[in-house]
Parts: sequence; structure tokens; C-alpha cells
Amino acid sequence: MQASRSSLSLEQAPPLSVPLRFFVTAPIFGLLAALLLIIYGPEILTNRWAPATLALTHLITLGFLGMIMCGAMMQMLPVLAGSPVPKVKPVATAVHTLLTIGILALASGFLSGITGLFHLALTTLGLGFLIFIIAISIALMRIRTPNDTIHSMRLAIASLATTVMLGLTIGAGFSGMTSLSQLIPLTDIHLGWGILGWIGLLVVGVAYQVVPMFQLTPEYPKKLTTPLSWVIFSTLIIWAPLYLAWGNGHLSKWVPDSWILLPAIGYILFAGTTLWLQQKRRRRVSDVTLLFWRTGMIFIAACLLLWLIGFTPITKAQPIFSLLLGIWLLFGVAVSVVNGMLYKIVPFLTWFHLQNRQVALMSMGKVKVPNMKELMPDRLTRRQLYAHLTTLLLLTLALFWPYPLAHIAGLSLGVSCSLLLFNLLQAARRYSQVNQELSDFETSR
Amino acid sequence: MEHKLNVSDLEPPEPMERILLAIETLNAGDYLYVTHRREPRMIYPMLENMGIAWVTRPSGSEGYEIFIWRKDDNAAKAAIPA
Repeated sequence: MQASRSSLSLEQAPPLSVPLRFFVTAPIFGLLAALLLIIYGPEILTNRWAPATLALTHLITLGFLGMIMCGAMMQMLPVLAGSPVPKVKPVATAVHTLLTIGILALASGFLSGITGLFHLALTTLGLGFLIFIIAISIALMRIRTPNDTIHSMRLAIASLATTVMLGLTIGAGFSGMTSLSQLIPLTDIHLGWGILGWIGLLVVGVAYQVVPMFQLTPEYPKKLTTPLSWVIFSTLIIWAPLYLAWGNGHLSKWVPDSWILLPAIGYILFAGTTLWLQQKRRRRVSDVTLLFWRTGMIFIAACLLLWLIGFTPITKAQPIFSLLLGIWLLFGVAVSVVNGMLYKIVPFLTWFHLQNRQVALMSMGKVKVPNMKELMPDRLTRRQLYAHLTTLLLLTLALFWPYPLAHIAGLSLGVSCSLLLFNLLQAARRYSQVNQELSDFETSR
Repeated sequence: MEHKLNVSDLEPPEPMERILLAIETLNAGDYLYVTHRREPRMIYPMLENMGIAWVTRPSGSEGYEIFIWRKDDNAAKAAIPA
């Protein structure tokens, strides 16, 4: 194995500004979600169909999670698979701009009920995701020898396409563009594909690479990684028509509800394996990303438990269970894992871009490139972890005591997102400083 | 002369940092013998830019061994075990 394998590198990766713009935008949408929670308070946490609840949900799913996942995919494909996203700079600019406008229009549309805002949201989000899905699909299809991560990413993108199409259909019905008879089942299927398909499969695929790499664990066992994503994806394909059949009155609800346990068990196996691998890591040092991931994995198990409790006759009719499940899935699992991942991706990329430039300029010993801990100090990331955990606790308690806890949970979410934004900007500022020092060295030669 | 470096228990990008630092200490005839749990693919373009040659070999279940030397140093190249 010699120099010919060097094509698998960050050299093909886009400039740092491409993923960073997505990463920095995410906590800003998180702040807007926090603002809604502060203003609307209990209203958001009592009914999943309340306009403010729908606005907040989409600010988190599209604005926070979606932004980070889109940025990370554009960055990871060249690094992990040696397959750059075609025309990545214009694609990133178009996707970022269209999604930002679309998310703002959608959230304002929900809050105001103005039809024109829904039309704007549907157009911009539809176009933004279309460009993203096409560009990523081209990069994914070019990979000749796909591993389990790539298989998961392909299925995640197919799930995203399904989620977006369902979202556009529901949005068109919601804004009165078309008549929609099955709003509730379609919304649940949209949610299922979004969370268990797009978010879940991408997390699984990325974990296969980054958990062993950054957390120094053994590799995930092949007997889990090879079938897992396919099983989850195919069970979702069967679940959707079952759920629609329930919506049409042709099937009892327990059939699709029992079926969805299959992908849920798949995720439990994934979470259990991740926790087991983390126990066997080579260097048993406490690490903020590790703690974010552990939180996420524990909440996967908690969500399954909650889902099962929700089946019992006493709890079945309680809307609080679906809201709690939603909060735990979004904030407990998805936000925890994605937020934790950022604390590895951002300092690593920052360090690598600077180091690469330093080597190219042969400026070793002249300009000091900060290491990852200097770019993203533990004391700052740990502070945000505590804010995130506090938010999780407050959101959970606020379901039982909406006033005044919903408002306080909003404040806590605001603190958490502000700290995340501050940490990301600190790394970006440090990058600019050192990059300038390297430029000064280049001109002084 | 062989300089040994085991980076198996280090989190990225520490292995790369250590390797780059160790390269600076190589004298004529010296090569670096690195053991790592993963193949350090991301460092290859940097090595190329620095005029450094390398050979990577799988090393049983333990991961990889990487021999690193200056491209123009034929004595170092000759000293690397086959």
C-alpha cells in the first residue's frame, strides 16, 4: 500500500466555509426555537398540532438537525469515501440559502397562517432539498466499493427524499393548495421517515466510522452493520402502507404500531452495541462527545420503553406520551448525537485545513497550528453539555408542569444554543487568526 | 537508524501530529517505524507535499505498520525491512 492510495483525503474536500456555514446556522435556528418556547410556553407543550409546536418542531428538525446533517454530508463524502460532491461550492451556497429562506418561511407560515409564506416555504425547501439530494446522490453513486457506511448514507438519502415529498404533500394540503383527506396518518409517516429513516440511518452510518475513530473503540461487528440499515429501511417501506391502511379504516392500529417495533429494535441493538463498544475503548478518558453520544444512546432505549408504555390501556389516550416521545427522540437522541459530533468534526476539520496549509508552505516551527483541544476547549464544550442536559430535563418536566417550566425550558434551550454558537465561532475565529498568520508567512518569504 | 512510534492509543489528529513532529527529527539514514490501529490515509497527501516517502503494511490484527523516510534518502530506504 503506497502513495497511490492518497486520493482518499481532505485534499478533495471543500473549503472549510462550505460545512461551517451550515454548522453555524444550526444554533441560530435553535435560538429561534428557544424564543418560541419562551414566548408561547405551555401552548407548545400541550398539543402537537398547535401552530407554535409545528413551527418549533421544524426549526429543530430542519433548522438545527437538517442544517448540520447537510453540511456534514458534503464534508464527509470526500473524506470518508473519496467521492467529492460535484460543484460543491455553488451547491452549498444554493442549498444553504434556499433552506434558510424555506425554514424561516415555514415557521412564520405556521405562526401566522399566511398562505403565501407556505407557498414560499414549499418552493424553496423543495428546490433546496432537490439540489442537495441530486448532488449527494451523484457522489454516493460514484463510489465503486461501498462499505456499510455508504449503504446507510444511500438509504438515508432515499429516506430524506421520501420525507421531503411527504412534507411537500402535507404542506400543500395544509396551505389549501390541494385537498388532503389523510392529514394525520400522512404526518405520522412523514415523521417516521424523517426520524427513523433520514436522521437514524445517517447517524448509524456515520457512527460506524467516527465512533471507532474518535472514541478509540473496537470496530462495530459486521454481523450488525451489514444487515441493520437494510432491515430498518425495508421495515419502514412496509410500515407506511400499513399505516395508511389504518388511516383508511381497513386495518386495526395495532398492526402498524406493532410493525414499527421492528426498526425500533434495530435501533436498540445499535444503541446497545455503541454503549458496549464505548465500554471497551482503548483510552478510558472522559470526553464531551462521548457523553453526548451516551446520552443519545440511553434515550434510544428510553424512547422504546416509553413507546411500549404508551400501548397500555391507561396511557393510550394520553397525548402527553406522544409529546414526550417526540421530545426525547428529537432532543434526547438526535440533538445529543448531532451536537456531540460537531465537537469532533469542527475542530478536526479546522486543524486539518490549517495543518495542510502549513505543510504546503513548509512553515513548521514558524507558525503554530493549535491542536484540537486548543480550538475547542473542554471547559467550553462541557459547559454546553450541561446546558443541553438541563434543557432535556426541563423539557421533560415541563410536560407535567407546563407553567412556568415551559418558559424556563425555553431559556435553557436558548443558553445551550448560544453556548454552542459561541464555541463554533471561537473555533472559526481561531482558524481565521492562524490562517492569517500563515498568509503573512507566505508573503514574507 | 529506526525511530519507533506507536500511535495506536491516540485520538485523531494526535497520530498525525506526532508523526509530523517525528519526521522533523529524522537524520540521514533514519526512518520512522509507526504502528497504528488504523491506516492513516489523511496524512499521505501531507507527506507527499513534504517530499516524504512511505510504505504501509497490514500488521495482523493489531492494525498497520508504516515506514516513513525522506524521498531522497536512499540509505534510509535500503534500511527498511522487506
